[in-house]
Amino acid sequence: MDPVPGVFEGGANVVAVLVLLAEFAMLRAQLLRTQVRLYAWQSLFVALLAVLVAADQGIPELYVLAALSVALKVVIVPLVVLRLLPDADTDIAGSGRFGVASAVLLAIGVAAFGLFVINSLHFAKSSLPTTALALAGAVVLVAFVLMIVRSDVVSQAIGFYSLENGVSLAGLVVAARLPLIVEVAFLFDLLVAVVVFGVLMKIHHSRTASLSTATLTRLRG
Amino acid sequence: MITLAPPVVNALQVLTIAAAAPGISGVISRVETRLQGRRGTRVLQPYYDLAKLFRKETLLPDTASWVFLAAPLAAFTCYLTVPLLIPVLTSYPLPLGYMGDILGGGFVLALGSFLVALAAADSGAPYAQMGSSRAKTFSAITEPTVLLVVFTVALITTTDLPYALARTVRSSADQIVRPAHVLAAAALFMVILAETSRIPVETHTGTNEFGMIDEARSLEHSGPAYALLKWGSAMKQLILYTILADVFLVPWGLASTGRATSVGLAILALLGKAVAIGCVVAVIDNSFAKLRLFKITEFVAAAFLLAVLAVFTLYLGGG
Amino acid sequence: MGVVLILLVTVPLAAGIVALVAPPRLTRAVTVGCGVTCFALAVSLVGAAGSGEVRAARYLRVDALSVVFLLATAFLYACAAAYAVGYVTPEKGEADFPRYARRFYAGLNVFAWSMLAAPLVNGLALLWVAVEVTTVVSALLVAIEDTDGAAEAAWKYVLLASAGLGIALLATIVMYYAGSQVLGASYELTFDPLLASAAGLPAGAVRLAFVLAVVGFGTKMGLVPMHTWLPDAHSEAPTPVSALLSGSLLVVSFYAVLRYFQVARAAVGPHFPQTVLLVFGVASLLLAALCLLDQPDVKRLLAYSSVEHMGILAVGVGFGAPLALAGVLLHVLAHAAAKGNAFFGAGVLVRKFGTKSVTEIRGALDALPWTAPLFLLAVLALSAFPPFGLFRSEFQIVAGGMAASEHALAAVLVVLVTVAFLGLSLVTTRMVFLPRRHPRPGDAALQRSEPSAAVAAVARSEPSGWMVAPMVAGLVALVVLGVHPPGDLTDLLSRAVAELRGLG
Repeated sequence: MDPVPGVFEGGANVVAVLVLLAEFAMLRAQLLRTQVRLYAWQSLFVALLAVLVAADQGIPELYVLAALSVALKVVIVPLVVLRLLPDADTDIAGSGRFGVASAVLLAIGVAAFGLFVINSLHFAKSSLPTTALALAGAVVLVAFVLMIVRSDVVSQAIGFYSLENGVSLAGLVVAARLPLIVEVAFLFDLLVAVVVFGVLMKIHHSRTASLSTATLTRLRG
Repeated sequence: MITLAPPVVNALQVLTIAAAAPGISGVISRVETRLQGRRGTRVLQPYYDLAKLFRKETLLPDTASWVFLAAPLAAFTCYLTVPLLIPVLTSYPLPLGYMGDILGGGFVLALGSFLVALAAADSGAPYAQMGSSRAKTFSAITEPTVLLVVFTVALITTTDLPYALARTVRSSADQIVRPAHVLAAAALFMVILAETSRIPVETHTGTNEFGMIDEARSLEHSGPAYALLKWGSAMKQLILYTILADVFLVPWGLASTGRATSVGLAILALLGKAVAIGCVVAVIDNSFAKLRLFKITEFVAAAFLLAVLAVFTLYLGGG
Repeated sequence: MGVVLILLVTVPLAAGIVALVAPPRLTRAVTVGCGVTCFALAVSLVGAAGSGEVRAARYLRVDALSVVFLLATAFLYACAAAYAVGYVTPEKGEADFPRYARRFYAGLNVFAWSMLAAPLVNGLALLWVAVEVTTVVSALLVAIEDTDGAAEAAWKYVLLASAGLGIALLATIVMYYAGSQVLGASYELTFDPLLASAAGLPAGAVRLAFVLAVVGFGTKMGLVPMHTWLPDAHSEAPTPVSALLSGSLLVVSFYAVLRYFQVARAAVGPHFPQTVLLVFGVASLLLAALCLLDQPDVKRLLAYSSVEHMGILAVGVGFGAPLALAGVLLHVLAHAAAKGNAFFGAGVLVRKFGTKSVTEIRGALDALPWTAPLFLLAVLALSAFPPFGLFRSEFQIVAGGMAASEHALAAVLVVLVTVAFLGLSLVTTRMVFLPRRHPRPGDAALQRSEPSAAVAAVARSEPSGWMVAPMVAGLVALVVLGVHPPGDLTDLLSRAVAELRGLG
């Protein structure tokens, strides 16, 4: 069996697993606020990992990045989404194409595929254990499952945001020393995307008076 | 200093579990009622209940067969066997501990549960049969979870003996922090909540038959058989808590030698750990609502997910 | 020359800000002026980039490859700005037209700005940021019409395109990782150092990054099977925006794929990247050609034609021969002009006849004396008829395929282009040539066969001269590109091909 990971690696892997578990929990969320709060928690875990990497590798810019991403993803994005849809029917339960347990089993299969595929690639020199990279890939794939299985705009939007979280996690593993200005550019891009998603969600909600995308079947072929 | 021979310590393990089990149930119900702001039941109340039940007569349904009377005794025997296999008091394996590994222990527990369900189905009463079929349905998902937890144990220590896992966990801090260990412990805790019929799977108090799963299986029994059933389920609860505490979470405080004082301290440590876990369960009981029946699949699917992730992270070499 | 780059980056953004505050007439004039200026600036770069790089500030860089895409975008920007003068009118029935016009022109300018910025930025990371900005701005523009279809199309578009760009971000990170093995742990993903050290990059990581980039940026480019947002978004957006989407945005995403191709080719050799592109290209061509045979909506038809052309571009790069690569870059320019023309014509048809359905538009030649022939010529150009530029470029691609010994795939390309031609031309000739028939009393046969053609006569007039002028300009460009491309342009294309092959 492989050698036991050290305390830092074990702790980092636990936080990465928590990110993946938050993604799975989104498959189950039945209220709009629950989805948004799960996203906030997931972003908090990713920021926590950034702080861990910064402390371990001595990269002071990552502290700034962690602070910025907490401000943006944990505070501003949930606020924007919840403010834009204040009168929405907050219950989005039952919007899945199949039930929660089936979706979780499907997502387990998909995540297993991702975990094993990424683990079979070899990455030298990374600042977090490569298990975290495999978990990041699993987060991306389960985010796709979330976007596919759920047919309401909030889950799909949160699915996209959590996909970006997964990519940030992957970036923390293999590209921790990406110049700060580039990372800040990514973050503000995400903010703009959030605003646009919010505007379109609001348009959808005002046109169809619901959050469900089951009615979006006009354009086909 | 009195040194106890290993067989004596082995017997002491069984006696401790058997004697302390109703007490732990009593502590949990007292903590729960106190948290609700009530005066609370006596801690020793389950003992008085058992004593009362042993004095009562047994009534059988007309359609019951010998299974109905034999099953509680057989299940109780199973529950007496398992403490021989797991680290209850000592950190070194005891002679009868090689009779079965943790997989064997899991199987014996499942056998006990199955026998009780069989007796309930034999009784012919509708609620008992409903509880029996429900319990077996949900155990179809919880059993794979337990197996996966066992596999995690096996993958970490390359052996199935729970003593070895306890020794590994004690060895260094990084063993506690590794994700496979954390995930397996979390999965086991969720399975324990399901197996000991606690919130969010079932309400332990009250008699709402439509919501009962495990509780309904013992509805038709009476007298000493019923006492054995209640005692057996209390023992199962304490056994599961012991496995969680002594193998996964806090494998410290176990006796490393056969000296009487260390064994005595180990008994106290075990009771303390079980009470602590019981308090956590009581808090959960008071904080969450029972899940609707078909949402319980989501709960056990979550436990399954945690166990699967435990195995995967181990297999990927980083956990 | 560096000043040109800075101007290109700032002028459209300034126009966008002006559009937010100025009255519509001033906004229109500023937008058209800005479009023409940007095109002139892009043309002025042709000579300079033909001989070397041009840099400005720390983050702007232009080489021959970038200028090709700048030309395509700037040309369509100018045409779309002129077209919009005639298209965006109060007669569209907007309740609050000034507000709509303000949002439209601001969006148009900012959209063009983002598309101009993408070929200008130095580095893969900033390139991703620029493409993401194009996505969000264009999503708002697609949703600007107040219809159910537009809302649906915008939601599908933003979700799919953003998810694709998430994959592309993963590609950027993996490429950063690959570079960090050679260039050190902390560096900016600028092109020159990356290309210079390409030989030392770890092969596995580069391959993974390339595949992720093709999937991610290919979503925005319209490669099958990630193309499903394309017909919806391009058909529901306002026509000038559709033209920009098809003619410029798809090729800007293609530019991003080309940059990854450049690095991958230098790092792991040409075989793997070309095979990946061939797979996606042939799939796109096949699906698009088949879907073109049965489309009920004229703008959806043109959208599928865009998918087909993006497939041709991918296949051309997949062939890899210098002739094919030159054909690909010429195709980028010619396709911009032809697709722009086609969409402009379709927009006039829709405006005139009040419907997008191809079975209901009849007798366009009678009703629109200028637009209908121009539209027909644009569709013929899209089907690679001589003497238009697309014929020359597709000929070069096929010849390059033969030169690269990919005979079977070149044959497949020709067959599928012919199938696409069939689909396009059937619809277009029916729309243009079949007369509108006025119902006589008791003409039951007509009512049965074409109930929608039996409507009141349509007046023979062009809705607006502003909508015709860009089409004429596009036609001139197509003929020039097809018959005799200017010498400077051919030099630019050769230099770009050399850069792609790692010899520049």
